[in-house]
Amino acid sequence: MATYQEFIQQNEDRDGVRFSWNLWPSSRLEATRLVVPVSCLFTPLKERPDLPPVQYEPVLCSRANCKAVLNPLCQVDYRAKIWACNFCFQRNPFPPSYAGISDVNQPAELMPQFSTIEYIVQRGPPNPLIFLYVVDTCLEEEDLQALKESLQMSLSLLPPNALVGLITFGRMVQVHELSCEGIAKSYVFRGTKELSSKQIQEMLGLTNPAASGPQGRPAAPQDPAVTCRFLQPVHKVDMNLTDLLGELQRDPWPVPQGKRPLRSTGIALSIAVGLLEGTFPNTGARVMMFMGGPPTQGPGMVVGDELKTPIRSWHDITKDNARHLKKATKYYDALANRAAVNGHSIDIYACALDQTGLLEMKCLSNLTGGHIAMGDSFNTSLFKQTFQRVFSKDHNGEFRMAFGGTLEVKASRELKVSGAIGPCVSLNAKGPCISENEVGVGGTTQWKICSLSPSTTLALYFEVVNQHNAPIPQGGRGAVQFVTQYQHSNTQRRIRVTTVARNWADAQSQIQHIESSFDQEASAVIMARLGVFRAESEEGPDVLRWLDRQLIRLCQKFGQFNKDDPTSFKLSESLSLYPQFMFHLRRSPFLQVFNNSPDECSYYRHHFVRQDLTQSLIMIQPILYSYSHVCFLLKMLTNSFFQLTIAQWRKAGYQEQPEYENFKHLLVAPVDDAQEILQTRFPMPRYIDTEHGGSQARFLLSKVNPSQTHNNLYSWGQETGAPILTDDVSLQVFMDHLKKLAVSSAT
Amino acid sequence: MEAKDLYIKPGNQERGWNDPPQFSYGLQTAAQGAPKRTPLNKRVPPPQLTGSPCPVPGDVPSLTAPMTPPTNPLAPPCSMNTPPRPCPVAAPPLGGVMMMATPPPPFPVVEHTDSASSQSENEPDVDDVVTLLNWALTACRHTVKKQVCNDVAKRLKLFEDMWKSGKLSLPVRRRMNGLVQELKSCNWDAADEIHRALIVDHVNEVGQWMVGVKRLIAETRNLNPDLLHTQEVDQSLDTSSTGNSD
Repeated sequence: MATYQEFIQQNEDRDGVRFSWNLWPSSRLEATRLVVPVSCLFTPLKERPDLPPVQYEPVLCSRANCKAVLNPLCQVDYRAKIWACNFCFQRNPFPPSYAGISDVNQPAELMPQFSTIEYIVQRGPPNPLIFLYVVDTCLEEEDLQALKESLQMSLSLLPPNALVGLITFGRMVQVHELSCEGIAKSYVFRGTKELSSKQIQEMLGLTNPAASGPQGRPAAPQDPAVTCRFLQPVHKVDMNLTDLLGELQRDPWPVPQGKRPLRSTGIALSIAVGLLEGTFPNTGARVMMFMGGPPTQGPGMVVGDELKTPIRSWHDITKDNARHLKKATKYYDALANRAAVNGHSIDIYACALDQTGLLEMKCLSNLTGGHIAMGDSFNTSLFKQTFQRVFSKDHNGEFRMAFGGTLEVKASRELKVSGAIGPCVSLNAKGPCISENEVGVGGTTQWKICSLSPSTTLALYFEVVNQHNAPIPQGGRGAVQFVTQYQHSNTQRRIRVTTVARNWADAQSQIQHIESSFDQEASAVIMARLGVFRAESEEGPDVLRWLDRQLIRLCQKFGQFNKDDPTSFKLSESLSLYPQFMFHLRRSPFLQVFNNSPDECSYYRHHFVRQDLTQSLIMIQPILYSYSHVCFLLKMLTNSFFQLTIAQWRKAGYQEQPEYENFKHLLVAPVDDAQEILQTRFPMPRYIDTEHGGSQARFLLSKVNPSQTHNNLYSWGQETGAPILTDDVSLQVFMDHLKKLAVSSAT
Repeated sequence: MEAKDLYIKPGNQERGWNDPPQFSYGLQTAAQGAPKRTPLNKRVPPPQLTGSPCPVPGDVPSLTAPMTPPTNPLAPPCSMNTPPRPCPVAAPPLGGVMMMATPPPPFPVVEHTDSASSQSENEPDVDDVVTLLNWALTACRHTVKKQVCNDVAKRLKLFEDMWKSGKLSLPVRRRMNGLVQELKSCNWDAADEIHRALIVDHVNEVGQWMVGVKRLIAETRNLNPDLLHTQEVDQSLDTSSTGNSD
């Protein structure tokens, strides 16, 4: 229905929020019967070029366990200068600076169009941003050269006052001193010996032994900004660092025949995390790790150095034959948590022809909001441009990256917070709003997102706690407030507050209205994230069964049908796309590990649980655009997020004939659309230009609906077309099964 | 940013399968700042759920995308071996390609031309460029540390040597000329942007010395404006000698 679609879109544009239901069932029992929970996708830093930040502190509710921010839903008594919190109903006086407000002179935060508002708050001196490069030197010469050039180039792209550092590793790990003059020095660590954070700081001379007093107090760290020789302002050390990078050599340790290079990735990362922990805790920092192969030595090793032992596959994992998997995962998990606690994010740029250990290391980025980029070589446009885009700027010329984010969610008392799924860690903040049923990262109403971009999106799950048959809450509306504190790339501290409300509805009398408020796109992504989250800890087939079960229940609840008559089954418009999203999700690489390596799965899932709604949907169900006038020419652009495929079915030579001149532009039209996507998407997708019968056409064929396969080629009587070699069922068959199950009185 | 600086190069198909094309810095920054066109994200529900008549009294919902015919848009296309006949195909996406009156230009894929063949057009003068750079460097020597200035000078010399021995391509030479013009006019941000574009687009040519230019811009913009016009500085501008750099 047009009105709900508009409502949904307007809310997303303004607040960055998409709820599964836009009318909320007023009791817990009814909410569970709706199958899809009351939940939302939330983009904390959604790009709002029209939203000017205000330069004052937000006004907070004075109740100790509330502290909600003043917002347009609050009732205000302008005469008495008092406002009522819409969450806890506490009456609060306005601060003295608000003495002049009135009905016709409202502060911005009370105006409905500022349901999302951003405050600039400056507490203490601004902290510089930090970029710590951790570079693998066990690369082929060509790759190392390309990587060095990219790193040199990046020095010109960094924010001007940023601090920068360099750690290189191979068999040993070297921490480079970035002094401005004299001979370059570095501290070398063995790649096998695990050290504590304190030991690392001592060995780097970051603690001052003379500072311990007569009582034997522990050594105090020196002032980091003054004495950290390893993290220096880029505008001071850019020339030296450029030379240093230019002189980097391949790891000198020879690699015997039949062996892999010894790569001490685990120790390198532990030193990076320890260095930052000791010098700049609680400041925005990015560890950017560049690796050309798997860790083969020391803690965190993923595979041994014998080439004849391949890196673990899914087969190895299911047969419990992956020797290093548990230990390595645990090791990196611990590092990731330490980094997250300090607000530091870790990026992984992995370029190699074989797997590099993303399965074990993914938590480093997933828990901290860092990026993962996966490519074949550092000497490719895919890596170079993806890396450049880390430093992309918005229309205001400001960097898109933000640091040190914390998100707090408050809700009306009829709602509790079950949890979040996305690139975050729990802050373990206890409060009255927490549901006992944990979903995703639960047991808290606050999460930390160490690194954010304008597209970073969390899925948040709620529980309706009102008792069945309890009256609709006074005012008829429930509200949720999202408070995101973060460090802007210009080092300002900011607070963005989004407050939204939806009407309660009695599910028994208003089920059709609730149904029409269903946002099938958001719900598909929300359920998909749940599925992916479960797939990380459960068996694959169990997740699929769970997904199918939810879909059948949803269809039983909302389908219109006569019992046991599948042909009568129909879904209303607000639900009609949902089944096909589930169809595509089931066969997507997010839930199907067949045909993708463990690293590839980790990579796809990493991107899936952080992207905004539009991109997430593209990942589930790639969009196929076809451009054609008549059937002489059919060109398709498949946008599947990680790849763009342009495929042509072209009757030979038609576009060259003068009477078909106007078809020529059809050749370039999808290319234009592709260009727009290629110029902005992060990470850079692969670009496949193929044609009918071309080998690369398999990427298109693997995504399309297999309505005609080798199984049914002769049994359908459809027009002949190219069959797709697969055992997957077609959408049609899937729907038939679904309808049968939904209408059956036995299910 | 000139139109010539907005280009696309092919990806490295030897090192990366289906490596995407590489966009120049100018194209990337233009795209990232611009508002997006309408995203082509309309989807069509399968006919089995909406096409058939509804047995329960209620509204018959209409298709959300009225321009799309009610067939499965994801069906594989007709085989090349069959004669062309009117296959039902999805109409082009809303607001998209069919509305265009003039054919848009295809990817302007550019091969880097040899400097020899393009010397005729707008060949900047190396001495002019170097003179301006040295003018800025001389002004900096008053307040900026000697070590830094010498480091910058070393790189400017490298730049000059590379130019004179024909190792720099025309786009680099041309854009460096543009950069020093901006420097002369005290348009620091514009000069900085050109340096960034150059290091992104031509890192293999400029990587070793461009950081010196970057530093030069950064230091010069912080100078007291009077320092930019002292007598010795103007003298270095008037002459075309390059002796100051050592």
